Amino acid sequence: MITKDISQSVVKKDHVDKVAGQLPYISDVKMEDMLYGVLFRSPIAYGKVLSIQYPTLPEGYHVIGAEHIPGGNFVKILVPDQPIFANEWVNYIGEPIFMLVGKELKVLYQLLDEVEVEFEEHEATYTLDDAIGKMTDVMATHEFGESLQSIEKIEQEAYQIIEEEYETGYQEHVYLEPQGMLGIYQEDKIQVQGSMQCLYYIKNALISALACDDDEVRVIQSPTGGGFGGKEDFPSMMACHVAIAAQVVKKPVMLLFDRSEDLVVTTKRHPSKIKYKTALDKEGNILSMSTEVFLDGGANTGLSPVVLQRALLNSAGVYKIPHYHAKGYVLKTNTVPNGAFRGFGAPQSFAGIESHMGHLARIAGKDPLEYKRRYLVKQGDPTITNGRFRDPVFMEDMIEDLLETMKYRETKEEFTRFNQQSPRYKKGIGTSLFLHGCGFTGSGERDHIKATVKLLKTKEDKVLVKISNSDMGQGIFTTLSKIVAQELNVPYEEILFPYPDTKDVPDSGPTVASRTTMIVGKLLERAARRLKEQWQSGAEQEIVEHYVHEEMIPWDEKTFSGDAYPAYSWGVNMVEVEVDSLTGNVQLGEIHASFDIGKAIDERIVKGQIDGGMAQGLAYGFMEKMTSKQGKIQQRSITDYGPPTSMDIVHIESKLYDNPYAGGPYGAKGVGELTLIGGAPAVQSAIEDALAVSFYQIPITPEVIIESLEKREGEAVDKI
Amino acid sequence: MVTKTVDSYHFDKLEETIAKLNEEDCTIIAGGTDVMVLHKSRRGVAPKIAGPVVFIDHLSELKQTYLAEGNLHIGACCTYGEMLEHSLIPSVFKKAIREVAAPAIRNRGTIGGNICNASPAGDMLPLLYIFNAKLVLRSFLGDRIVEIHDFIQGPRRIARQQNELLVEVILPDVVDEESTYLVFEKIANRQADAISKVSFAGLLQVKDGKVADARFAFGAVGPTMVRSLEIEKKLLAKGYPLRAEVLEEVVADFSSVINPIDDQRSTAYYRETVALKLLRYFLTSKELS
Ligand SMILES: Cc1cc2nc3c(=O)[nH]c(=O)nc-3n(C[C@H](O)[C@H](O)[C@H](O)COP(=O)(O)OP(=O)(O)OC[C@H]3O[C@@H](n4cnc5c(N)ncnc54)[C@H](O)[C@@H]3O)c2cc1C
Repeated sequence: MITKDISQSVVKKDHVDKVAGQLPYISDVKMEDMLYGVLFRSPIAYGKVLSIQYPTLPEGYHVIGAEHIPGGNFVKILVPDQPIFANEWVNYIGEPIFMLVGKELKVLYQLLDEVEVEFEEHEATYTLDDAIGKMTDVMATHEFGESLQSIEKIEQEAYQIIEEEYETGYQEHVYLEPQGMLGIYQEDKIQVQGSMQCLYYIKNALISALACDDDEVRVIQSPTGGGFGGKEDFPSMMACHVAIAAQVVKKPVMLLFDRSEDLVVTTKRHPSKIKYKTALDKEGNILSMSTEVFLDGGANTGLSPVVLQRALLNSAGVYKIPHYHAKGYVLKTNTVPNGAFRGFGAPQSFAGIESHMGHLARIAGKDPLEYKRRYLVKQGDPTITNGRFRDPVFMEDMIEDLLETMKYRETKEEFTRFNQQSPRYKKGIGTSLFLHGCGFTGSGERDHIKATVKLLKTKEDKVLVKISNSDMGQGIFTTLSKIVAQELNVPYEEILFPYPDTKDVPDSGPTVASRTTMIVGKLLERAARRLKEQWQSGAEQEIVEHYVHEEMIPWDEKTFSGDAYPAYSWGVNMVEVEVDSLTGNVQLGEIHASFDIGKAIDERIVKGQIDGGMAQGLAYGFMEKMTSKQGKIQQRSITDYGPPTSMDIVHIESKLYDNPYAGGPYGAKGVGELTLIGGAPAVQSAIEDALAVSFYQIPITPEVIIESLEKREGEAVDKI
Repeated sequence: MVTKTVDSYHFDKLEETIAKLNEEDCTIIAGGTDVMVLHKSRRGVAPKIAGPVVFIDHLSELKQTYLAEGNLHIGACCTYGEMLEHSLIPSVFKKAIREVAAPAIRNRGTIGGNICNASPAGDMLPLLYIFNAKLVLRSFLGDRIVEIHDFIQGPRRIARQQNELLVEVILPDVVDEESTYLVFEKIANRQADAISKVSFAGLLQVKDGKVADARFAFGAVGPTMVRSLEIEKKLLAKGYPLRAEVLEEVVADFSSVINPIDDQRSTAYYRETVALKLLRYFLTSKELS
């Protein structure tokens, strides 16, 4: 099919296989002689391994541990502080100490039970609050903005100073397919297959762990049932485990997690605490604001420093705040490491700033939306890092349009009347305004990623897309094929896009940061255009394109100044809720959402991102609850964690605004992360509107609501 | 490694099943939706069930629902799906059933399984308690009838002899839903596939401005359903709407018998507060005469 407008929806390339249940995921793969691995994990949060007593192993069963690692005993990410096998110190409950490998899982589980490890336990840091109290283990910190002295001066002259603390909880990815990785030994070479987002992250980790050459390892993505960031950094560790084991036993080794293991040991969204200090004048206008962000990094650094960057860069939301200062820290705790998750620090910041702005509005006696609009950034305005919002900003139009569709004022009045008459149920409406910087922060694309893409044309005139990005359900097989097809003027079905294999794809970067369509798609667009110009029927041709950096205000990572992103996507969410004041349960009402993502490459795929992203974002605000007690994750099943079902989520009415960005293919910008960000703050604002109570945390679970309502009732009684 | 398989029985007749139970201690499987979860092993390994298994959910004798002498009999192996479709099942039960799990589990899970699993969060139990359900247990010796509150002794603890099978649930003197105010509320973290954090069933009859009958049961706030005949009795013949002192006394009484716990699903504070709020709301929200 050739579509006139690229936005027109087509059937996804992998649709039939997926719907028919035919697509083999990694856990469906069986190989001759294949062995399974199971990990022995630390039962304690912090301590020294004194001795390990292995059980007697039956024939064909092996222990794979630190002593088998040819290279350094760390998973290569940013900082070498994450052991592949923690044989000296353990830093969190669930940290892998060694792996047992053998044919029968049943035997392996029995053997695991017979292992005896002696530890010297040390005092652990279990919570972010503990870590903030100590401030001893800072994994990363950044600070920027106006000097604190000049802010202090403003504060001294202000009418009042508002200080707030805000907290966000864990979020778990709940990809449908739990993590899985297979290591295959082949004539002195190691091949790793599995569920993943970032082939070259894994490859680099393997080269480091195996201390081998580039051509001695090969990474192949297998069909991936969802990632959401959970398969960005975490799979590198599993890849090291199976690769080392396969090299030792010279057989394929499979490592698969079931849901409860996955829930308890894999990375999560960083819990955070955000402190705001805002100076106001008599009318409630903002004079200055300073923000402190604390992220719970968990037991090792992982990608946390980068998550902190994005959290800070988004800490002022979509607002032009006069005299702004931001500082942030990633702190170590002896809990499961936190890592990448759709939004990458931004969801915490937006939940926080939207909450704070809503509370400031109340102090100023204004409707939250009206108050926020006064501070909205416009085209040409500086960013908080002294970059520029260079492209048109349609937020005002999007808001106006939604106010009309939702009949905002009438609805508010109707809800007020309803709430006066209804003792039990209370209705409210809330709005969130947000953006997402597309691609890597600052000069990351130029300095760190240096993406390369390749198009291969065969003698039969078939065109193959050769990139290292994963389709994990988000649909890049389809969207990127459409981009190439459109340039070549052929049906998108004819473009071949096999699962990537590092043996024959260049490094086009990881599948993260809402960068794939915009950055990689643009390179493919250029490659396809060149291929068309040079097309020779019957000849094999190869076109390679490299990332070209667009001139911006140069980014300085040390001072945190310049253009942090080449482009921004924007969103407005309006959400209605009905709160049961007896139980604290929240039922979603009408949901409207508008987005500026430049240009949709496929409307239905974008709609999928909107519906899924918003479900995940809304649930982050009031449903999904994960807690850690003495370093142990408490929710070991999906039921206990409580992601929304189709009965909890309502129809999401969404609208797209075309605002083509020259740096993206057909004008496309990032979409994947943006759609999650507005859910939680909108739902919080709606719950606050319904109950006329302020909240300072997400998720706002029924437990939180009931506690607040009881407290308010208690206070009311005290006053009488 | 030899994997030992378990014996399993699948008899055509209830009689044979009962006879087998007398010979051997079997794990009874009706819908299996609790059994399979309870015996689940880690990934890739079959469930661990000790001893032989006897399947019962195909036995037509256990799937009958009928009225006899004003009592409603529900076969132990009636599934949620079947009960939803049946005209004799009281609508307040149907309301509760619609909040159990999701359609797939409702097509397998049975009322007998819910009772015998004896979970504090079992969603049929609050209503069965306030309907004064009686259970028919059959063994080769014959039938024995037990009150549900005597049968359920604690989490997963029931007063069933090894050779007995629960064959029927009897709801005596089925209440007329027209003249009785009946409520079931399930409070959980989401709207499907969720386990109750608190549940509440209430029954209230008012005649000539006075309380004629009042029954309440709370789920997931203790090891078994919380019901108190003593507290209920205090309400009898009280004027309705209840005077504030009467209401406060009932709420205070329940507050001393409801002692929930903190766990991964909720907090003790929430459970108790909400349980009492639901009770208070139930006793004040409706005009009855
Ligand atoms: C995903 C999921 C969601 C669920 N959601 C809910 C929910 O929302 N609410 C809820 O209450 N429950 C829920 N459950 C639990 C379960 O489905 C119910 O308790 C169901 O009623 C059990 O019935 P069953 O026939 O499947 O029982 P089984 O698993 O077959 O049996 C349960 C127990 O009862 C015994 N037993 C069964 N029948 C008899 C009999 N006739 N005589 C003697 N002993 C017997 C068995 O030996 C076993 O010990 C859920 C379960 C799952 C897996």
